[in-house]
Amino acid sequence: MQDSSSVADGPHHKLASQRIALSRKNAGQALVALASLGSLLVLLIQILHSSGAIAAGFADWRPILYAYLVWATALGVGQVMIRGERGLRALFLLPAVLFTVAVVIFPTLFGIYIASLDWNLSSFEGPHFNGFNNLIGLFHDSYYWNALGNMVFYAVAVLGEYAVAFGLALLLNAEIRGRKFFRVVFLLPLMLSPVAVSWMIGKSLMEYRFGPAATLARNLGWDNPAFFAHPWIARLSIEAMDAWVSIPFIMIMLLAGLQAMPKEVQEAAKVDGASAWQSFWHVTFPLMLPVSVTVLIIRIIFKLKLADIVINVTAGGPGGATDTVSSFIYRVYRDRSNVGYGTALAMFYLLMIIVLLTVLLRLSSRWTQKVT
Amino acid sequence: MKQQEYDQHLRMRPNRRTVLKGAASAAALGSAGALGAFSERALAQDNLRARMLQIPGVGKGAPTDADWQKVGELCLGPTKANVKEGEFKGVELSFMGLNNQNLHNLLFRGFLKPWEAYTGAKISWIDLAQADYNPRLQQAIATGTVDFDILEMGAPFEGDVCGKGLASEMPDWVKTQIDIDDYVDYLKPPVGTWNGKTYRVTIDGDCHNFNFRTDYFSDPTLAKAWKDAGNASEWGVPKTWQQVQAVTKFLKGKKIKGQNAFGYLDAPKPWGGFGFYFLGSRATAYAKHPDDKAWLFDVDTMKPRINNPAWVRAIQDVIDALPSEPADQLNADPNTTGFQQFLAGIGAMIPWWGDIGQVAKASDTSVVGDVVGFDILPGSDDVYNSKTGKWDKLASGPNHAPNCAYLGWGVYVMARVAGDERKHKAAWSAAAHLGGKDLSLWTVMYPSGFQVHRTSHSNIDEWVAAGYDKNYITSYLNSQFGSYNHPNRAVEPRIPGIFQYYSIAEDELTKIFAGQYDAQTGANNIAAAWEKLTDQIGREKQIALYKASLGV
Repeated sequence: MQDSSSVADGPHHKLASQRIALSRKNAGQALVALASLGSLLVLLIQILHSSGAIAAGFADWRPILYAYLVWATALGVGQVMIRGERGLRALFLLPAVLFTVAVVIFPTLFGIYIASLDWNLSSFEGPHFNGFNNLIGLFHDSYYWNALGNMVFYAVAVLGEYAVAFGLALLLNAEIRGRKFFRVVFLLPLMLSPVAVSWMIGKSLMEYRFGPAATLARNLGWDNPAFFAHPWIARLSIEAMDAWVSIPFIMIMLLAGLQAMPKEVQEAAKVDGASAWQSFWHVTFPLMLPVSVTVLIIRIIFKLKLADIVINVTAGGPGGATDTVSSFIYRVYRDRSNVGYGTALAMFYLLMIIVLLTVLLRLSSRWTQKVT
Repeated sequence: MKQQEYDQHLRMRPNRRTVLKGAASAAALGSAGALGAFSERALAQDNLRARMLQIPGVGKGAPTDADWQKVGELCLGPTKANVKEGEFKGVELSFMGLNNQNLHNLLFRGFLKPWEAYTGAKISWIDLAQADYNPRLQQAIATGTVDFDILEMGAPFEGDVCGKGLASEMPDWVKTQIDIDDYVDYLKPPVGTWNGKTYRVTIDGDCHNFNFRTDYFSDPTLAKAWKDAGNASEWGVPKTWQQVQAVTKFLKGKKIKGQNAFGYLDAPKPWGGFGFYFLGSRATAYAKHPDDKAWLFDVDTMKPRINNPAWVRAIQDVIDALPSEPADQLNADPNTTGFQQFLAGIGAMIPWWGDIGQVAKASDTSVVGDVVGFDILPGSDDVYNSKTGKWDKLASGPNHAPNCAYLGWGVYVMARVAGDERKHKAAWSAAAHLGGKDLSLWTVMYPSGFQVHRTSHSNIDEWVAAGYDKNYITSYLNSQFGSYNHPNRAVEPRIPGIFQYYSIAEDELTKIFAGQYDAQTGANNIAAAWEKLTDQIGREKQIALYKASLGV
């Protein structure tokens, strides 16, 4: 069977392409060139204007956006004029490419530029180029490395969340009474905003004076149930709250995996006389590995962004014990208006996450292949 | 509107008490002879203030939006004198302010509703939490995206806004309408002005006063225990920080009314920079020498004083007191100490803005309304002299230096309204309405987020007539005006980025209080970070602005 690309590149198309008049091609090229030059000119004027080199210019950068849209339209029209039907096909992809350039590529590049600036919003001089100083600065920033250390703890704790979630998924996959009810109930925490959880649990249930959790702890013999006053207790309390919100997500993914698993394999294990544990460890767990790896990676990505609960409940304290990279960046940017340095911290963190996840994916892929 | 008029009639309906009051007034008027037109106006004004202060009545629950609208309606007189009905029809204004504790902007909405109905203008609102305020404002300034016409702002930000030409100069008619000369001295220029131009309608006066529990310090059991512990002094309200420390440590493990007793409550948890003021309140008596206007930075160099012996002693005081405070105190910010602890009956002493005094008596959330007393911040037996590097004992006794923290909120009109004459007048009219003399009396008597800031707020009879207990309000007002008018008051520098300094300090202080550093090392770290920040913002300009804000 002939595929679509071979149809498109076939002799019919070549003929259609050849039929495009030279004048039309030239007009298309001229249009694209004109639009590109015009857009670049507008951009250049605005750059010179904002840097103070020339007086003429726009009050804000919005015209640059309009110029980009005009250029994008001209580029699309130009493609059709120059390449005919192939140009038409390009139009299916071009908007997505240009959109990605506008909202992903450009902001990332712009972020890297901002990260190279010494830019404090209160500074009289405004932003100025700072080279690699922000990057060098972060290597000497004990708050950043302390937060990264905490992130290691939070990321490792995902394994605990996974274990609990797997247990719950197995439970909900079994033929128990009220299974549908429990599925809904166990999902409820996922539907809550972490900010709401911060207030409902961190600042109410776990409140030292009147919180039911604190009262229960007192009744159980803990005289001073202060959940956020000692470093390790505070860290564990934050982790517990975040886990409470996120375990349902892991659980539902694993449950979907369990339900998709062929029943015959488990029945065969039973027939062969495998115990429940052997059946889980040698059959269910290995078969669930691809799902498990996927959900763990997703969960770690989410975990590395942990900020809202920390900001609301402990503000990173006591003494930075619960601080996360995101909550630290939040303080640097929001409370200290240190835009350049804050962006540099975020960019470096992004880089670290990309490297970490790439390594994790490679390792997990090899390991999964080995086990399965 | 009709509902409001009906409510007003109900309030004015004569009863035995009002008839007798009226008869007594008539007799008094008769005996005084004929009064001129001026006296009639004055009486009408007094009557308006008295009526306004009965909305809803002190001790009759927290005011609601309906109450705020009634107050706004009653205080429309000065607006009507300067603006024709419907004069601003079609004008739209944007107002940016706070929504702390459901106050500030929420009250402004109510106050301005009758103003909108009369003038025809419409206001849209940008509500911000306290902690979001600074970044939102700084971003708007730095990126040239000021999207508001009227701004509720504290004086510490004047360097950022007025210094960069973003505010509109106050017209003379506004100065007359709001009776600007009535402001207390410490809120008069240079506060509210920049390069000699006036920008601010003051709606608040801020200082930290000392709030204490009278029942603690009149409790005979505690008094006996105090003596039994070998203390030579009498059991009473501490007057110095040395006494605060002693009382706090003494109260550890004691009971009052069957509950655990606690002394002073510190606020070690960061609070978007605002938590630093609470260390400042402990430090000013040590660090603000009567012969030196500066107490936070050296005047000529902006060299931080945060690591000098005075500030380090204040930090050490917190470290020493924390073991005697509630077990979770490390996770308490000022909002917790003020509203979840002190007003809820926990702890004997806290520094706070005047909100505590307002809320203690007039809000449903307080349980200490009858047992709270006020004073200016405690003093110190000795004060550090930065010039000589020695501790001085003053001949006059303990050194007091009330912390005039934040200098109060004000309403500012942004320069962007300048191009449109109607919009300009409408914005200033709205600001003047919110900062009106009569309306301000109501805001300082009821929960609003604003404290006394006018000389006319010191009339105790008006407070008593509104329902305040005379002893209570006398104590409260003395603590407020005693702080404002204190010759050694510590006035906050109005320099750009001041909250960045505070935020950096908060981060380092939380490490010190968690035991990661000693006080001196942590203070040295703060000083180093502050130096870096001063260089980043621009040292020379900061020095100039710091000098201007100190008036040197």
